[in-house]
Amino acid sequence: MPQIVLNHVTKKFGKSIAVDNLDLVIRDGDFVTLLGPSGCGKTTTLRMIAGLETPTEGEIYIDDRLVFSSGKGIDIAPDKRDVGFLFQNYALWPHMTVYQNIAFGLENLKWSKEKIRERVSALLATLKIAPYEKRYPSELSGGQQQRVAIARTLATGPKVLLLDEPLSNLDAKLRTEMRAELKRLHMETDSTFVYVTHDQLEAMTLSTKTCLMKEGRLQQYEAPMQVYGNPGNIFVADFVGSPTINFIEAAGNNVNLDEIKVEAKGLRLLFTPVSGSVTLRRDHPIIIGVRPENVRVGGDGGLSGKIYSTLPSGMETIVKVQLDSLLLTSVVFGSVDYPIDGDVTVDFAGDKCILFDKGTGEKLATGNIRIV
Amino acid sequence: MKSINRFRAFIKKPHNIILVVLVAALAYLTLFPLVSLIWDTFIVHPSEIMSVKHAKVGDVTLFHWRKVFLDGERSLKLFYQPLWNTVKVSLYSSLLAIFLGGAVAWLVTRTNIHFKKFVSVVFIFPYIMPSWTLAMAWLNFFRNRLVGGAPGLFTAITGIATPNWFAYGIFPTSIVLGLHYSPFAYILIGGILRNMDANLEEAAMILKASRAKIIARINLPIIMPAILSTFLLVFSSSMSAFAVPAFLGTPVRFQVLTTQLYRTLNGLNPGYGYIMAVVMILIGTVILAANQWFVGKRKSFTTITGKSSNSSTVNLRNFRKPVSVILIVLVAAIAILPLITFAIESFIMAPGDYSAKNFTTQFWLGPGSEDVGGGEPGVLRNKYLYIALWNSIRLSVIVALFAGTIGGLAGYAIVRGRGTKLAAFVNNLAFFPYLLPSMAFGAIYLSMFSKPNLIIPSLYGSFALLVLVGAVKYLPFASRSGINAMLQLSGEIEEAGVIMGIPWWKRMTRIIFPIQKASFLSGYLLPFISCMRELALFVLLITPANRVITTLLFQYNEKGWNQWANAINLLIVAIVLIFNTVINKITGASIDKGIGT
Repeated sequence: MPQIVLNHVTKKFGKSIAVDNLDLVIRDGDFVTLLGPSGCGKTTTLRMIAGLETPTEGEIYIDDRLVFSSGKGIDIAPDKRDVGFLFQNYALWPHMTVYQNIAFGLENLKWSKEKIRERVSALLATLKIAPYEKRYPSELSGGQQQRVAIARTLATGPKVLLLDEPLSNLDAKLRTEMRAELKRLHMETDSTFVYVTHDQLEAMTLSTKTCLMKEGRLQQYEAPMQVYGNPGNIFVADFVGSPTINFIEAAGNNVNLDEIKVEAKGLRLLFTPVSGSVTLRRDHPIIIGVRPENVRVGGDGGLSGKIYSTLPSGMETIVKVQLDSLLLTSVVFGSVDYPIDGDVTVDFAGDKCILFDKGTGEKLATGNIRIV
Repeated sequence: MKSINRFRAFIKKPHNIILVVLVAALAYLTLFPLVSLIWDTFIVHPSEIMSVKHAKVGDVTLFHWRKVFLDGERSLKLFYQPLWNTVKVSLYSSLLAIFLGGAVAWLVTRTNIHFKKFVSVVFIFPYIMPSWTLAMAWLNFFRNRLVGGAPGLFTAITGIATPNWFAYGIFPTSIVLGLHYSPFAYILIGGILRNMDANLEEAAMILKASRAKIIARINLPIIMPAILSTFLLVFSSSMSAFAVPAFLGTPVRFQVLTTQLYRTLNGLNPGYGYIMAVVMILIGTVILAANQWFVGKRKSFTTITGKSSNSSTVNLRNFRKPVSVILIVLVAAIAILPLITFAIESFIMAPGDYSAKNFTTQFWLGPGSEDVGGGEPGVLRNKYLYIALWNSIRLSVIVALFAGTIGGLAGYAIVRGRGTKLAAFVNNLAFFPYLLPSMAFGAIYLSMFSKPNLIIPSLYGSFALLVLVGAVKYLPFASRSGINAMLQLSGEIEEAGVIMGIPWWKRMTRIIFPIQKASFLSGYLLPFISCMRELALFVLLITPANRVITTLLFQYNEKGWNQWANAINLLIVAIVLIFNTVINKITGASIDKGIGT
């Protein structure tokens, strides 16, 4: 059962802390993404799991085996951890052909020539790179190099696959294509994937669980839709989702049992929690988060504003509406071309709006908003 | 009409104008001399009238070619033996340089040894110091009674007399040249190792390859092209070295091509010398062609990522301390110890006697006495020294200004015109002087400019000739730095200025130069340093009026005035190191940036 466990793992580079007291359990068969802005410690975490980086403190288990412990002085070498690693820049050996690149790991396992040939041929076929067998990496396109790198990593059949931003060097179209293939590979190889990315869409679409990190600290570790709909704090809500979530800064006061009166600049709303009641101080500084799909444009009634910009992309249209000093983003299904500076009405739909404490940044509740 | 328009478009671009001017200038200053040199191998020179029967000066003859190549025993002595010696010395010294420089490069870039900073700074010293520095140090240590003088420090301390093969000839020449050029190998191989993507090794490690296997199958193949081109460059540099074999070989009549060249050109048969120069240029050209073939066959394997670059150092564990100590001792022995011996040798009265009462400041501060060295005063009171020193500094500064500026412009034009035949041609022309052995290059200019030539009057014995030969000879260093600087700079940076209508000279001085200041300035630094310590290039062209400090040193050494020679050498080393350090600290320019990539 290849389960990966990190206990209180900390990594310092000199004085700066890359990863700060991280606890993480990655279960067998999971596809976990480590998500965050650059410099948040996600790559360092992945490299520590692989054994390429030595943690300053903590313990790491792979498959119930203790591979690192600062306390017990255990540090198993990367080659003995039975993991596969896919590098961001592929790290293909430039002086070896595609075939030699893929076969290298099998040679190290002392496989016979025929068995290696058989295995490499199968991989070349699966990844659709058979015609390039005799070429050197410099003679391949980025997408083909990517496939060779995947084949090389898969060749030895590792049960844990660590992927470091593998798609970031590809163009948008290829990236979408490879995403689908990676998801299939995960299923077919029946192994555990740990995947580093800064692209929230990649994390959303691929993973079974997303681990959000910021400045070396774990922010939220849940299924992607959970993270999207139920972000634990302002950072997570802001980082996940495209277009970005709308934030409305306001002062909140408890009214009518469990409702909250929200007063922002020129805006009076009533927030009704559905996740359980909340107690606020008087004029408590709060932030309301509303996903763009919950901002309705052109309904009956509601607030009146002006169209700031409209970006139709065929399937959907992103509309920005100016309400006094507030700029709200909305997503409308289909292609609608609003005239710029035209008058429009706006209201809020659904009960997935989120109430944050402005001071701590933590989520207080989810609920719906009415305009009063 | 169409072609006129095309011509107009062509000359509108500043880089095209630079390229055209450079083609004309460089063809005149490098290709034309080559032709003139070849012509000189076929004619009778004034000093040769006695040996060539029934000939007048200027007659065309095959006499020189016959004598050098086909005259049995004499050709063997004159040419074949020195040629064979040259090949052996170059081979041994390049192997030593690669082994030593490569090992130090690996230790510094890829392991966790101590004192990395110190090693990487001091290990470069032998390359910054004049090449004969180590040769003189060798003599200070190991000379024996063969040449009549007193034995060296080693014998004085241990009482063991050094055998001739150890003190003079091929053995010390190869060792000294190898040590002198090992920083060169260190810089080239170290650059590759430092830039090599650590992920390549990590990928192999994860696939269960052993440390030995990673070195054999991943590291070595990837740095092989760099090793080969290092080998070729060190080989050709050793081949054209003059001072080291002159210092260490002469006592046992060990001759190489450069020393033969010096003898014949200064003696009665310049025709022989010109032929040897042609042979050396040929070898140099073949080596460059081989180098380009090697480099071209495989594209550069190095990729720069920066990510995880410092994470794959090898832990030497128990070897860490001993290896660090050995390295420190080695570096000190080749970079610092020589300087100490110069100091000691320059302070003793009677050579070979290292007792305290024999120490004297005579050779630094003394007024000069009749019984020692013809009454020559100590170096600090010696007006010839000040004249020579002033000449050297003046020459180096002017040469650096010319070479650096032209090289920078050449780099700009070559990179901007990349892909055109013209740019490729200029690139090769600007690199050509590198191939010409210094001594041979001096010989060419001697032959060419000893009489009025096209627009240039006779320059023999003039300071301008030294400037000209220096500027052309060091142009390759400067143009390499310029090309490196320009390659790292995206063309869009300049185009942004073009769009705003900023004139060309302003784009150069206000945008391009400031951004790549360190690289461009390296193009000035390298010619300056090289010129300060150059001997072979100038030794044939110097007249008493314009002696430079290196030729002065050579003269003292030839006369056997050991103390003065050591004192002057110490001065040269000090000046070069101080200039290098100061310029490096102020501007960020450095020697290895010039050689770099």
